Amino acid sequence: MIAIENLCVRAGAFALDGISFEIRSGQHGVLMGKTGCGKTTILEAVCGLRAALSGRVILMNRDVTHLPPAQRGIGYVPQDRALFSTMTVAENIGFALALRKFPPGEIETAVRELASWLGISALLSRKPRGLSGGEAQRVALARALAARPDVLIFDEPLSALDEDTRGEICELLERVREHSKATILHVTHSKSEAARLADVIYSLNEGKIERIQNSKFKIQN
Amino acid sequence: MPISTLKRSDTVFLAGLALFGGLYLFLIIAMLVADASFTTPSHVWQSLQSPEIRYSIKLSLISCSVTALLSVWCATAIGYVMSRFDFRGKQLIEAILDIPIVLPPLVVGLSLLILFQTPPGKFIEHYVPVTYAIPSVILAQFSVACAFAVRTMRGTFDLISPRSEQVAMTLGCSRAQAFWIVALPEARHGILTAATLAWARSLGEFGPILVFSGATRFHTEVLPTTVFLELSTGNIESAVAVSLLMVAAAAIVLTLVRVFGGPDAAAGRAI
Amino acid sequence: MRHAGAAGRINAAWIVFVASLIAFGILVWSLIEPEKKAGAGETLVVFCAPAIKVPAEAVAHEYEKLYKTKIQFQFQPSESLVGSAEISKLGDILLPADDSYNDQARAKNMIAESFPLVRMHAVIVVKKGNPLRIQALKDLSRADVKVALAGDAAAVGKLTRQALEKIGVWEPLEKKAVSKGTVSNVAADVTIGAVDAGIIWNSMLPQYGALEAVEDASVSRAAASVSASILRSSKNPTAALHFARFLAASDKGLMEFKKAGYDVEEGDAWVEHPEIKLFAGAMLKPAIEKTIVDFEEREGARVTRIYDGCGILVSQMRALKGKSLPDAYFACDKSFMTQVADLFLDSNDVSQNQLVILVPKGNPHGITQLKDLGKPGLRVGVGHEKQCALGALTATTFKTSGVFEGVMKNVTVQSATGDMLVNQLLTGSLDAVVAYISNATSSADKLDAIKIDIPCALAVQPIAQSKDSANKRITARLIEAIKSAESRERFEANGFTWKGKQ
Repeated sequence: MIAIENLCVRAGAFALDGISFEIRSGQHGVLMGKTGCGKTTILEAVCGLRAALSGRVILMNRDVTHLPPAQRGIGYVPQDRALFSTMTVAENIGFALALRKFPPGEIETAVRELASWLGISALLSRKPRGLSGGEAQRVALARALAARPDVLIFDEPLSALDEDTRGEICELLERVREHSKATILHVTHSKSEAARLADVIYSLNEGKIERIQNSKFKIQN
Repeated sequence: MPISTLKRSDTVFLAGLALFGGLYLFLIIAMLVADASFTTPSHVWQSLQSPEIRYSIKLSLISCSVTALLSVWCATAIGYVMSRFDFRGKQLIEAILDIPIVLPPLVVGLSLLILFQTPPGKFIEHYVPVTYAIPSVILAQFSVACAFAVRTMRGTFDLISPRSEQVAMTLGCSRAQAFWIVALPEARHGILTAATLAWARSLGEFGPILVFSGATRFHTEVLPTTVFLELSTGNIESAVAVSLLMVAAAAIVLTLVRVFGGPDAAAGRAI
Repeated sequence: MRHAGAAGRINAAWIVFVASLIAFGILVWSLIEPEKKAGAGETLVVFCAPAIKVPAEAVAHEYEKLYKTKIQFQFQPSESLVGSAEISKLGDILLPADDSYNDQARAKNMIAESFPLVRMHAVIVVKKGNPLRIQALKDLSRADVKVALAGDAAAVGKLTRQALEKIGVWEPLEKKAVSKGTVSNVAADVTIGAVDAGIIWNSMLPQYGALEAVEDASVSRAAASVSASILRSSKNPTAALHFARFLAASDKGLMEFKKAGYDVEEGDAWVEHPEIKLFAGAMLKPAIEKTIVDFEEREGARVTRIYDGCGILVSQMRALKGKSLPDAYFACDKSFMTQVADLFLDSNDVSQNQLVILVPKGNPHGITQLKDLGKPGLRVGVGHEKQCALGALTATTFKTSGVFEGVMKNVTVQSATGDMLVNQLLTGSLDAVVAYISNATSSADKLDAIKIDIPCALAVQPIAQSKDSANKRITARLIEAIKSAESRERFEANGFTWKGKQ
């Protein structure tokens, strides 16, 4: 689960105060809001990349507010994907496992599995330069999933993609959610994305969190 | 506009570019040719035979390499900190880091000379002679060359998005690991550029060395000092011969960098 | 497919870093090795102008062959030579390309002894073959002649300007000439052909094969000399003096300068340990003995001192010939210096010493003036009229005051030196003596002095250097030491009044 209690963060001159929301274990939560309203800042606080001035961050019932990112058990897919340009796709994916000193054989197996699952087996020996948007998104996902984190965080995963690819990746995200049983915090500005994927939707408006709907809803209205 | 006029305006534009660019290129080549014609191959050969000049070449090459290494280590650390962290007084530090570039070289040398006459300086001198000894050559070169290397490395790290390191941290890296595994490899072209820049700058460093290291043959004489000494005693041909040696040394190093570092590094690309 | 992955990445970056550390170590080690080898033995540091590099290095080479001391040259442009020596305090000898820099250093109290080496004067230089047929200074004002002159920062520039200003030809020349920072720049410009003529030192010509000189009487008025000076900051002044003497020796250092085409000054012949002889009036011993001992130690020389009554010394000098004559004579009074003036160069007055009547403390016989010395029963001691200045002056004083016969009746002792008189006064064998005030200094607590207010009762001590001395330079330095401020303190502490330069 992901829970924020009275979080207060600052990014330069911009500040957010008293932010609270919760996403229960296994749920796919979406945080919506206009561009530039602070969604990414909240994500960074959850990941531990930005220090909170006050408040708590609780992941899987652990208070991680003062823990470094490495110890929070998170899989983070940032908006620009930020693949490691000097490593191959395979090395990108296996990164988390190599860090944890898994034996090379195991890493290779795990990487192959993930790659085939996400449909990027053909790209394993390539460098990230030159990958299409969709391919890069899959690699970023695979990298985040490799260590089987309990929490997944997606920052605008579909925004830079064309319509067809968006559909593919959306499907992929649904399968990921089923397969990994992780709790997902997904930031987007797209209502259709939210409608399709979310179990719970929060909206950030003028520094205030509002819960929109408790269950999946169709775009009808 | 009709096609022919477009084509003509393009031609004029390209001709203008060629003119301004070519002017500078021509100036450099003209200087080299003038130098070459003032001396003779036998002068150059004689210079290579002279034991003082041989020592000078050796000291220049070695000291420049040492300075380049030191500069890269320090510049990488400074560039990374200045690029990734925010703290009070950052602007002041940025201004301070620019000082060696702006100061006249003689002032740098003078300041070093005075520094080592202060009590802490004298303490160091007690264990390692610095003033007018070899360490002073490296110190003088480093004082200026590192400033340039810092600019390069700051630019390099500014161009590398911190996101990759952040993702690495979420995947399990400490800050140090993120630096070594993600940031450094991405900065490798910048590092090579900084090293080359520092090396080249050190080779030409003269002012600070003259004041702080003196010009002692077989001791603290580097190539620019040789040119100065030869010029001071009226051996203009010899001075020009040594100058051409310096040009050759620089050309060789740049070629090596291109061969081993790839076209990006030689072109001075940061990433 | 390689899966070194992140672990491999860590290793790669570290390997590169460690490799660079190793490379660093190797490079630094390769620099240290030669340094270590150079370590042994003493080193003297000479702050030298690059213009005189060639002869200076040649002399150092010769010196290093004979002695274990290494000579290390710090070449700095003359303009920054003094400044660098001042800040770093690591130099032993200062050798600028001309004396104005030595003067600068002297004004800052940075130097001690100076050794003149060569003389040089300004000349006009043109390209070899003199294509524009320049014969004299006035030719430089021709419209077709481009001229370069060194600016005031260079000694030749300043001195040339002063010489030409005096005869009123400077202004027009300055207007048309281009000013260069250093004299080497001027020479280089003429060599390359950027200008047609320039003014440089005549001593520089041997280095510039492509130039020839055009002598001009007005231009030659700008003259200077090159001197080597010992820096006060030197940690090894005796070794520095040893090399400086070698540098200035007529048959050693100056030979190299001559070979390089310079006009050399006169120098002493080279002697490992110079020995000089000084004749001095006995009363001067307490004032100059310490100064001379310090001088001996610093110079590594031996000064044989002969202290005696001046009359005796003068007769000795008249009898001696050639080498046995002293290198210097420090007389008790001018009257004796005059007697041997033909043997010496011009003398300098150093101090003066007052004649006084000395009596035991308490003045038991109540003596207040010269006449009182004639009191019956008094035993009086005076200097021997012929043997010493003291005696001669005393006699003159008595005669001028008209008490000569009256006092001479009571004179039981006539001594060659004032010290002997004082000793006899102290032992009680005399009641009063006429001696120098300086003779009383060491026993001031046991004696009283009565002033003699007569002009001729004053001795003035001059010092002079022998005309034919083989050790002119070092003797001149000894005289400088005796005229120094430290020496002055010793004179005044002994009761003398200083007459030397303030």
